[in-house]
Amino acid sequence: MTAQKEQGSLRRVNASVDEVARSLVGRFQTNRGVRRMLVLVVVAFALFAALRPGVYLSTLNLQNIAVAAPEIGVLAIAQMLAMLTGGIDLSIVAVANLTAITISTLYTAAGSRGDALGPVFILIGLVVALVGGLVNGLLVSRVGITPILATLATMQIFNGLAVVWTGGRTLYGAPRVLTGVGNATVGGIPVLFIALLLVAAGIGILINRTALGHKIQLQGANPTAAAYSGISSRRTLLGTYVMTGLLGGIAGMLFIARNPTASADYGASYTLLVIVIAVLGGTNPNGGFATVTGVVLAALTLQIVSSGFNAMRWSPYQYAVAQGLILIVVMVSDQVHLRRRRRGTPPALPVGPATPPTPV
Amino acid sequence: MSARLMALRGSNNEGVLAAVLVVLIVAMSLVSPSFFTVGTLFAVIRSSIVPVIFALAVLIVIISGGIDVSFAAIAIFAAYTTVKLSGAGGSTASLVVLTLLALGIGAVLGLVNGGLIARFRLPTLIVTLGTQSVFKGALLAYIGSRYIAALPPSMDRAGKHDLVTAHSGGSPVSVSLMVLVPVLLTVFVWWLLRNTMFGRGVYAIGGDTEAARRAGFRVIRSQLLVYVLVGMLAAAGGVVYVILGRNANPQDLVGSELDIIAAVVLGGASIFGGRGSVGGTLLGVLLVQLINNSLLLVGVPTAWQRAAVGLLLVIGVGVQAAAAKRSRKRVFAHEDLEVAR
Repeated sequence: MTAQKEQGSLRRVNASVDEVARSLVGRFQTNRGVRRMLVLVVVAFALFAALRPGVYLSTLNLQNIAVAAPEIGVLAIAQMLAMLTGGIDLSIVAVANLTAITISTLYTAAGSRGDALGPVFILIGLVVALVGGLVNGLLVSRVGITPILATLATMQIFNGLAVVWTGGRTLYGAPRVLTGVGNATVGGIPVLFIALLLVAAGIGILINRTALGHKIQLQGANPTAAAYSGISSRRTLLGTYVMTGLLGGIAGMLFIARNPTASADYGASYTLLVIVIAVLGGTNPNGGFATVTGVVLAALTLQIVSSGFNAMRWSPYQYAVAQGLILIVVMVSDQVHLRRRRRGTPPALPVGPATPPTPV
Repeated sequence: MSARLMALRGSNNEGVLAAVLVVLIVAMSLVSPSFFTVGTLFAVIRSSIVPVIFALAVLIVIISGGIDVSFAAIAIFAAYTTVKLSGAGGSTASLVVLTLLALGIGAVLGLVNGGLIARFRLPTLIVTLGTQSVFKGALLAYIGSRYIAALPPSMDRAGKHDLVTAHSGGSPVSVSLMVLVPVLLTVFVWWLLRNTMFGRGVYAIGGDTEAARRAGFRVIRSQLLVYVLVGMLAAAGGVVYVILGRNANPQDLVGSELDIIAAVVLGGASIFGGRGSVGGTLLGVLLVQLINNSLLLVGVPTAWQRAAVGLLLVIGVGVQAAAAKRSRKRVFAHEDLEVAR
């Protein structure tokens, strides 16, 4: 804060109060989303570790969690990015599958030279994802189609193309570069998990430290204000959806690295799951606010609960119930918290019910 | 002239959609002689029976400004639970009792959605994502995960009656009596949206919730009712689905939500709420089913179906978006003129 001497002291005080308040509000918001997920991760982990320590705390189980979380984590980060602008991207899973299918097809076609050309194929796979993102971006920013509809349509198109391409079959085979990465660990930590952390860090920097990131946040928080600040919403949106496409491509690489198969209908349940994770991680579905840390923690939480249910021999159906309940309880408690805070600001009269029980 | 053209076009582009449908039919008939037959017609009608019921449910939610991805879970939950509770093949319950039971289950599940949405003002997509997961999971975990091959006799009998039978290409083709359900429901929803205070309220809330509140509509109660109604329509769709399939499989239906939403949007309903019509929705569903049924006849492999529907959706909403942009510009240009004067 560089307040000049000739400015009135009142003004300076005002400015500093403003600054402090803003940073407090910012920290409070950041902390709430992240703190909540941290608590959930720890509680979920402790619960299952206490219930069945033998199975749950085994290295195998922990590594399984760390290997399964990255692909949905990366997809959720992509979804978070789209939601940050107030949009949504329903096509990311389809894009991820297209990338995986591209890599697998090229690898098989190349025959014995497939492993040597692996990096090239990966690059081509990422280009496919980029093109997918570009199509979304153009539909949203140029044609002006609402993101949910544009990506609903492109989801059908990308998925349809994948069905045509594979004939509905599952493709086998992946370059050794990828499968090697899929099996490798560094100090006991799977490389795939490290990849998730790298992607998260990269997107965190993109959002908080780059011009595009700030534009994305402002676009989501208040499109009108963004427009009047001279931000081209077209370019911001285009950049966002190209980015989500690219992240989808990275997720596709993770798919095939973990399991050297590719098919059009892999991860069919991911499309909606990824939205759940993004929202759980504190992303505002209306745009303007999200944290990468929260989203990564949310992906971990769901994976921890899922493998916990496995360890307890509870059915995946019960896990589906738990997953839905977690989402609803978190949303409702958020809303109740928000309302209470709004009411609580002035020394308010005790109006309305304090904390209504959650009817779930 | 332009006024008449506008009237033909319909308030939600129904005219355009109908024209596309006709062009498609003519083109298909020219390409493949086997297309323009009673067999194809009946096939399209048969495959539209269940989607039309779901689409009506989705239409109401979309007009009210929301979106519901849990209706398929509600449908199969209600239908499967009804079959299971009644004792499946050994049941003596009449069709009326079974249907009422299913509708009741649908209403309760819809009430859960509506309660969460109206009471806590949560985003509808997120809430229904959560409840979809809960409903489907609860069905499979606590009610049953096994396929039931023998329906209650009353349901089984209902599926055997045909409304019309005709001969096409030497083999008999028919349309089940069940086709009357979507027909009756279509008329009901059309009447509800057009001629009742509730229906007008749904449009008003979808157009502008705050304005609707100030105009005296009871927003919370209407929203609750919308989701209860959607739950009941979904349950009806589920029962018809089970009757037509002659079995109850708890794994069915869930996963097809986005296809139905696509058809409704194609039918001119605005995802922002406040706009949409029963006629347009009907045309949207028919168009999608026509494409699904006819691509094969003109030599396009079925694998292209999904991509074709996606492409159609892009074109449909793209044209709408472009038109909206143009009219916005026209308004501004008009205002500029006024200012200039």
